[in-house]
Amino acid sequence: MTFSTTWRRLPRTLRIVLTRLPMVVPQMLGVIFVTFMLVRLLPGDPALLMLGNMATPESIANLREQLGLDGSPWQQFVHYLGGVLQGDLGVSLFTSNPVAVDLMERAPATLELIFYAMILTILIAVAIAVLAVVRPGGIADYISRFYGMAAGAIPDFWVGLLLIFFLFSTLGIAAAPFGRIDPMIAAPPTVTGFYTFDAVIAGDFAALRSAAGRLLLPVLTLTIVNAGALMKMTKTTFAEIWRADFIRHQRASGLSQSRIVRNALRNSLPPIITLIGFLVGFLLGAAVLVETIFSWGGLGQYAVQAVTYSDYPALQGFVLVAAVFILVVYLIVDILYELADPRIQV
Amino acid sequence: MEMHDRKPLLETRDLSVAFGDKTVLHGVSLQLRPDEVLGIVGETGAGKSVLARALIDLLPGKGRISGGTVQIGGHELRQMSAGELRQLRGGGVALIGTDAKSLLDPVRPVGEQVADVLRAHKGLSAGAAHDAAVSLFAKVGIVDPEKRAQAYPHQLSGGMAQRVIIAMALIAEPRVILADDATLGLDATIQVQVLDLLVTRCREAGMGAIIITHDLGIVARYCDRVAIMREGRIVEEGATAGFLNHPATAYGAELLASARARPAPMVRSGRAQQPAKAPALLEVVNLVKHFPTSSGHVVKAVDDVSFAVPRGETLALVGESGSGKTTVGQCLVRLLGSDSGRVQFDERDILTLPDRDFRPLRRNIQMVFQEPYVALNPRWTVARLIAEPLALDPTMSSRTARKARVLEMLDLVRLPARLAETYPHALTAGEQKRVGMARALATRPDFVVFDEPTTALDIRVRAQIIDLVRELQREMHLATLFITHDLNSVRSLAHNVAVMRHGKIVETGETERIFANPQHDYTRMLLGAELPIERYAA
Amino acid sequence: MSQIRNFITFILSRPGAAFGLALLLLQVVAIVFAPLLATHAPTEADPLASLQPPSGAHWLGTDVSGMDIYSRIIYATRVNLLISIVAVAVAFVIGVPVGLVVGYYRGWASTFVMRVFDFIQSFPVFVLGMALVSVMGQEIWNVAIVLAVLFVPIFARLIRAEALSLRDRPFIAAARCSGATDGQIMFRHILPNALTPAIVQISISIGMAILLTAGLSFIGAGVRMPLPEWGLMVSVGSQQMILGVWWVALFPGLAIVFSVLSFALMADALRDYVDPRRERA
Repeated sequence: MTFSTTWRRLPRTLRIVLTRLPMVVPQMLGVIFVTFMLVRLLPGDPALLMLGNMATPESIANLREQLGLDGSPWQQFVHYLGGVLQGDLGVSLFTSNPVAVDLMERAPATLELIFYAMILTILIAVAIAVLAVVRPGGIADYISRFYGMAAGAIPDFWVGLLLIFFLFSTLGIAAAPFGRIDPMIAAPPTVTGFYTFDAVIAGDFAALRSAAGRLLLPVLTLTIVNAGALMKMTKTTFAEIWRADFIRHQRASGLSQSRIVRNALRNSLPPIITLIGFLVGFLLGAAVLVETIFSWGGLGQYAVQAVTYSDYPALQGFVLVAAVFILVVYLIVDILYELADPRIQV
Repeated sequence: MEMHDRKPLLETRDLSVAFGDKTVLHGVSLQLRPDEVLGIVGETGAGKSVLARALIDLLPGKGRISGGTVQIGGHELRQMSAGELRQLRGGGVALIGTDAKSLLDPVRPVGEQVADVLRAHKGLSAGAAHDAAVSLFAKVGIVDPEKRAQAYPHQLSGGMAQRVIIAMALIAEPRVILADDATLGLDATIQVQVLDLLVTRCREAGMGAIIITHDLGIVARYCDRVAIMREGRIVEEGATAGFLNHPATAYGAELLASARARPAPMVRSGRAQQPAKAPALLEVVNLVKHFPTSSGHVVKAVDDVSFAVPRGETLALVGESGSGKTTVGQCLVRLLGSDSGRVQFDERDILTLPDRDFRPLRRNIQMVFQEPYVALNPRWTVARLIAEPLALDPTMSSRTARKARVLEMLDLVRLPARLAETYPHALTAGEQKRVGMARALATRPDFVVFDEPTTALDIRVRAQIIDLVRELQREMHLATLFITHDLNSVRSLAHNVAVMRHGKIVETGETERIFANPQHDYTRMLLGAELPIERYAA
Repeated sequence: MSQIRNFITFILSRPGAAFGLALLLLQVVAIVFAPLLATHAPTEADPLASLQPPSGAHWLGTDVSGMDIYSRIIYATRVNLLISIVAVAVAFVIGVPVGLVVGYYRGWASTFVMRVFDFIQSFPVFVLGMALVSVMGQEIWNVAIVLAVLFVPIFARLIRAEALSLRDRPFIAAARCSGATDGQIMFRHILPNALTPAIVQISISIGMAILLTAGLSFIGAGVRMPLPEWGLMVSVGSQQMILGVWWVALFPGLAIVFSVLSFALMADALRDYVDPRRERA
């Protein structure tokens, strides 16, 4: 039994995953290297910059040792790499906690936000896009044209502020933009880290109502802008498939409209999966802005804080985690893409 | 034999179709009777495909039926509800189009797709429909039907995919089959198999078939009646035999004349003067070209090929797709690197020359490419395109000399001088082919490779191009290599023929001898799949 | 020149595109004639006139430091557009030749360059931009440089995709047969055919750059006070929104919307104009 025959006997899913995994290691190393380089871009002595002019030579030397700034660049990198692999991302200059701990505390908030925003964005974008293509000249078509054009031009931070102004300040419908849950209500015991899921698990409906209410505005903010972009791209992809020869042939063979739409959607799945991968990237960046406006207490707000206070270890940690997260997302997207398209040879 | 109801299966009266303001079909009246095969012939733009789509009310974009009636099985098309129309498509009238693979859903197994069509017309369960599809696959000659039904379209060959499409068309038991250029792009042998299958099945089930094509040979062989279309109108209609022997209109006669092989085989130029032992201008010895594929094994595209082309003579390299003939051409002009072998041009081995030394030789070795439009840079004018190779000629360094040569070339290929400043997209296919030739001949080369010169051309344009090439051969004493699968054109264009299959030459010889007395089985098969008009007409 | 005239006629025939052109011209006017159009100096702070609603004296109101919002919006056009146009221009000039060479030659060097680009693009754009500006220092030019770095892969990838597909077209083979060298093929044959999507992308990227600059400035990783910049102005007004002071954040945001919209409309018009399926009059 040669290698290639053994290879071909494995189920396709397994083959796809195994081909993709080895690429992850060099990519991870690259990400770590880039974040390492980031701080090296600072002009002058990083330790001095961080501690300020009043710092004593001892504290500077201490910080230098802590940051691993002595030694050759190669040694510095190895030192940093070693730290990362052990989960040590340094200590935040602002909160004085280990960066890794800070990030872990705040990650669920951001993930919950992105999770709901993603679901709502995908539902709205795909629905409008498909309807616009299948019924040209209909309502969905007109909406899609204006929405696609407008959504790409609107800054998400501005939309968030407007939503706060109209729905909270003026009309009083929405919850206050001050964090994930009403300060009067206790957060549910942590199981997943998502307040909504944890509240359901604990049966705490007051917490559920409050958390959901607070999620409303930030999720809407993220959705309004990103659904427009996703919708435009989905519409282009879907329209191309809708115009394809084989779809026309299905119509000529007498298949029902609903069946044809389903077939077209199934064909659009691979490129839509890729688009969703990009969407997660956009959402992560947008979350930075949105969390700031809504005092969300997630990774995004942490990152902005790091920028404001020149907290470089925290910033470095955040960039690293964000990049690794996106890497994992792209990996999953790539695997799903190859699964969904039988034409790809593995 | 059962007496079928002689009412027509399909009838159009004065049918007109318009796109927006523009009318593309004018008053078309046709009838299709049961158990009859009707051929519709026309050149590009005649409106054949528009007619096919109008018959099932699936006109693209802004198309609409602007006048007349279409009756299918006695029911008026325009009065059908949406549900009835859907049932009609595939259930009453089934359409088969070009390029079968592009008509199949790439992400689903083909068996399921055929079963779907059956279920859309008759409410069968998934299992029953699947079984019906598999048994139909067997009937249309698909070997190993159970396994093939699980395959995806990209795993099938062109001919196999076309059989699947035919199965898809037959499965709901329609009354009429519409084949719109169903065999375009298929090898001649496959084409014959597919059409044989289609027509046999139709006759067995008492269906009617409409075969739309621009190949008169197909019509002559398979169709009971023929209608000639031109610019949206039917100019002539009647029994095939009648048309072939006595076409009723001038246009019909012109088409028929163009479809015949051009007269008189080539006369050898100055054979008497050339000493018998003169070295050939181009000699190919043991040429090999392999392509490694991603799955590991190697495709032997060109597998030890040898032939010679004497000065002023033409060799036709014929074969089907995958034979390696195109690859040979590309190796000769060094668009591809060869793996081993020798190519002697004017007694120099050109394969081993470094690029810099080969470049000046390109003056003498040129190529005319297959697809006319994509071989011309869409952003360059015709004049610039034709003048490009002149940079290889040191005597053509002045602008006036180049301009003069460009005009000379346009004249040579019978194109008006005013086309010099136009862009390719403004030209017809025939004009684009001529520009390609003008460019190849601009440096007055000794040797030219023509890659599929007559493929994908309308009937009359093809005849014109063949005539032009004959003139050029005569005037310029070209040594030529014709790469083609159009055996018909070979008769009038080549002195010698080499037949290729799977990368090897299986037979060579003089043209008349090969056509009259083929030795190899494969050559005989190729000749058998040819559909020359002469076989059927007076 | 006649190409430009044709294009203008095309734009004027479509209301959406004409609107975009009008907005674009408006911005050009704002850039060139800022001192004439503004009512106050853009950085003139008047603490006594803090947070005034729109009035005759201050057409769009004042912000927390008493600076006139209308004038700042006018002057901010220069800042936002300058950064964006410079960034995109640099990205174009670097990205196009790189994409061309990488798409034409297929070798390990090309693969390596593409991996590097893949890499840059795998960081969330905003996060990377934020980190880079924060580390390099908040100067206008740093923002432009960072944006340029982020955009180079976009142009390179675009041109590379075109070059890859054009490379195997018969007309390139025909050119080689006619004696063209590699360089001639790349720049005289491939480039003119590949440029079109890149030109459309310029317009799109300028819009994206404006949004990015505004976003970065909003969180404090972009331009610094007291420079007039739309995103910065929105951030200044953000705390007041809850208190019912709407004009400080609303108007600069509208300026962003209209500016980006103008570039998006232009991009659409360009794309439709060069679409070969369009019937040419």
